[in-house]
Amino acid sequence: MASRNRPRPIRRPLINKEAGGFDQCWATLQSAMTDIHNKNASKLSFENLYRASYKITLVKRGEDLFNKVKEFETEWFHNHIIPGVDELVRSNLPSIALIQMSTSSSHERREAGERLLRGIRKIWEDHNTSMNLIADMLMYLERSCAETKQASVYATTIGLFRDHILRYGLKDVEGSDQPFVILDVVIAVVLDLINMDRDGDIVDRNLLRDITGMLEQLYQTDEEKEKEKLYTTIFEPRFIAASEVFYRAECEKLLRESDAGSWLRHTRRRLLEEEERCVTSVSNFTKENITAVVERELALAKMDDFLAMEGSGLKAMVDNDREEDLGILYHLIARIDKSKNTLKTNLQSRVMELGLEIEQTLKNTDFSAPTAAGASGEAEDAVEGVDKPKALSPAAQQTAAAIKWVDDVLKLKGKFDTLLENCFNNDLVIQSAITKSFADFINMFERSSEFVSLFIDDSLKRGLKGKSDEDAEIVLQKAIVLVRYLSDRDLFERYYQKHLGRRLLHGKSEMHIEKELVRRMRAELGNHFTAKFEGMFKDMELSKDLSNNYKDHIRNLGDDDKKSTELAIHVLTTNFWPTDVMGRGVLQDGEGSRADCIFPPSIKRLQESFYKFYCQDRSGRILTWVPSTGSADIKCLFPKVPGKESGPLSKDRRYEFNVSTYGMIVLMLFNNLSSGESLSFEEIQLKTNIPVSDLTKTLTSLSVPPKFRVLAKEPLAKSVKATDKFSFNAHFVSKQIKIRVPVLSSTSKVEGSEERKETERKNDQTRAHVVDAAIVRIMKQRKELTHTQLTTEVISQLFGRFKPEISLIKKRIEDLLAREYLERMEGDAPAYRYLA
Amino acid sequence: MSDSKYITLVSYDGFEFVVLREAALISETIRAMLRGAFKEAQTGRCEFGEIRGPVLEKVVEYFHYYHANRDQTDVPDMDIPVDICLELLMAADFLGLDSRPQMRDLS
Repeated sequence: MASRNRPRPIRRPLINKEAGGFDQCWATLQSAMTDIHNKNASKLSFENLYRASYKITLVKRGEDLFNKVKEFETEWFHNHIIPGVDELVRSNLPSIALIQMSTSSSHERREAGERLLRGIRKIWEDHNTSMNLIADMLMYLERSCAETKQASVYATTIGLFRDHILRYGLKDVEGSDQPFVILDVVIAVVLDLINMDRDGDIVDRNLLRDITGMLEQLYQTDEEKEKEKLYTTIFEPRFIAASEVFYRAECEKLLRESDAGSWLRHTRRRLLEEEERCVTSVSNFTKENITAVVERELALAKMDDFLAMEGSGLKAMVDNDREEDLGILYHLIARIDKSKNTLKTNLQSRVMELGLEIEQTLKNTDFSAPTAAGASGEAEDAVEGVDKPKALSPAAQQTAAAIKWVDDVLKLKGKFDTLLENCFNNDLVIQSAITKSFADFINMFERSSEFVSLFIDDSLKRGLKGKSDEDAEIVLQKAIVLVRYLSDRDLFERYYQKHLGRRLLHGKSEMHIEKELVRRMRAELGNHFTAKFEGMFKDMELSKDLSNNYKDHIRNLGDDDKKSTELAIHVLTTNFWPTDVMGRGVLQDGEGSRADCIFPPSIKRLQESFYKFYCQDRSGRILTWVPSTGSADIKCLFPKVPGKESGPLSKDRRYEFNVSTYGMIVLMLFNNLSSGESLSFEEIQLKTNIPVSDLTKTLTSLSVPPKFRVLAKEPLAKSVKATDKFSFNAHFVSKQIKIRVPVLSSTSKVEGSEERKETERKNDQTRAHVVDAAIVRIMKQRKELTHTQLTTEVISQLFGRFKPEISLIKKRIEDLLAREYLERMEGDAPAYRYLA
Repeated sequence: MSDSKYITLVSYDGFEFVVLREAALISETIRAMLRGAFKEAQTGRCEFGEIRGPVLEKVVEYFHYYHANRDQTDVPDMDIPVDICLELLMAADFLGLDSRPQMRDLS
């Protein structure tokens, strides 16, 4: 009659110290374990067994139980398992011989190996299942073990498996002194099968996975430390080592027998294979390590050798546009080496080589052969109407060379751009490396600035007339690309100014394209660079307006004089236009400049009239006339030659000539001569005060070529000398009414070497000033700087224009020191202070 | 053979309790019992040789109480009469109910 307030005492079937005691419980458990191992667990009641171990644990004999279990298992192994294993291994004797160089066929080896592994696998699986059941059975024991921190039952039994089965040494194996440990045998078999798999044989991959899975579940010691899995400590190192050997040999073989392309594909295949293998045959855990091995042995180790191969290496790949190969190579390298140095350096050297080759080709190409569509320039001298191919003059050859160089460079660039897109995935690192190489070889070639400007000149003059917008766009883009590479931008600016000036004044190109190009240059290179060009455009537009206004002005004055000359004028702001266009070119022998040229009176009147008109709106300006670049249209009457009754000479002929201004001045002189009179060269020179070289050119064009022989020359030699005499050529006949006498300065030719030297000299002068200005500006701001700092600053500031040489900067600094803009500072490192 | 949704727990004095399988599986012991290759797994019937009827009843009540409130927080303790609390403690220990159930292998 227990009260409801007190717990009821525990009543349970008495534990008979003997009957329900340790031994009885153990007996139950033992027979149960035997049943489990024999796969007869289904007739057992779990609860019974659990309760048995429960009871044992309660009487604090858990440790005894634990030891008894261990004993039992060990005995079980010895009696029932080991003989089987021994038999298994011996019957597959070739497998043992594996460890010492097998000689049997791979098929036999594979069969035997798989049999052995299957056997092992079965034993393991059975053991595993049984042990799980037994561990469950002893769960109560384990829970108390966990508190006292002993190894779990499961771990212990697994350890038993490891120790007694895997580490079991086979004794008395033929041909060896030491006992072979089964574990080693197993691993050796696995490695052998993997190698066979690599060679293409079909092996049972699941089997391999199960075996490696088994190894992953076993630990070195019973404590089951994570890093000490048998897989990691024993299997993996051997696997990696064997793989290294395998791939090293494979790489050698590839180097001997095949080419770079196959090598790439092979490596790629192997990498994929190994990754797959980590899923199907070995643990995923190893993936990084094994792919590293493949990368190292197959890809990296001999990469330089492969890439250097003739006919298939990197050079060949690039030259022959083997895009697939390059793509594979790129991906391979990108995996291994983030900075892709090998690829980068190889590509760079190739680009340099190809670039310099272009220069060589240029030197070797013989441009003197007549080409139908080739040079600009002298082609205009070609006889109209008859397509007589002439040999090109040296200057034209040079121009053709320039065009070719640029074309070749652009082609090269196009090629590498395609490669970049298709193979290198537009990788930035590679792109910048290639760009740098391009910039390097372009700038190494000393005439690049000039040639690029010539290319643009040629395109704009000839190529774009009538081309569609897209085509024009392409050419513009190409041009900009090249300009971007140049480092001597001020030199380019100078050339471009010169060429642009000529183009504009002679109307040789389309304004909107010119403007578009300059606009892009501005976007690339900055305002400063294009200021002059834009000024030139503005001048052209203003001039057009001026001409129109002047025409209206004249008309309004009512001076409807039929004989008055029409004036179309270009007013050029001095600073914007190139100096030689402005006539301030190389002066020879101290002759008078163009301003002293004597114009015919009618022209003089015109000039004064215009000047008055011009000054109406503006004050304080000075206009100077530049006759070397102008042109004039003259109507000319050739009266019929007396004495001729038939043929063209019997009629009056009226022609309209378009000649240069100098030509016009010379021809006007002959108006006042009576027939039969002639003027000598010197007389003409005195009367017009045209510089001798210009006069010679003009007179040549008017008297030497039969087409334009308005003046008759005595003697009739090809060249004009100071002693020649000139007279009106009454016998002049031409099929056309309007004749254009070529103006000798309208073409942009490649400079001769003196001209070039001159341009460079002027350029250097300007650079000196620019550097001075930069130095002063920097010092003013920073007050005190060391020499190295100053130099670095100067270089970085001037980077967009050109790359100043250190010696130049040094010289300028010294100059400034002398002029007392700077002073030296005391101290160890050379430093300077700004003097206000 | 598919597992049925219910299992039967039997005390040594013959009381049988039909329980939701899922609810009973919070006990490690019962879980082990039902997953192995043993007889209980096949029949779905666990016989406890040392647990009395009233005690087992309370255990079963606990199973259902836990299962019903498994997603909630701040659940009030179940009511346990004093007189069987000692036996209940022993049974709980036997059944592995002394630790929070790890719902990893409810097979």
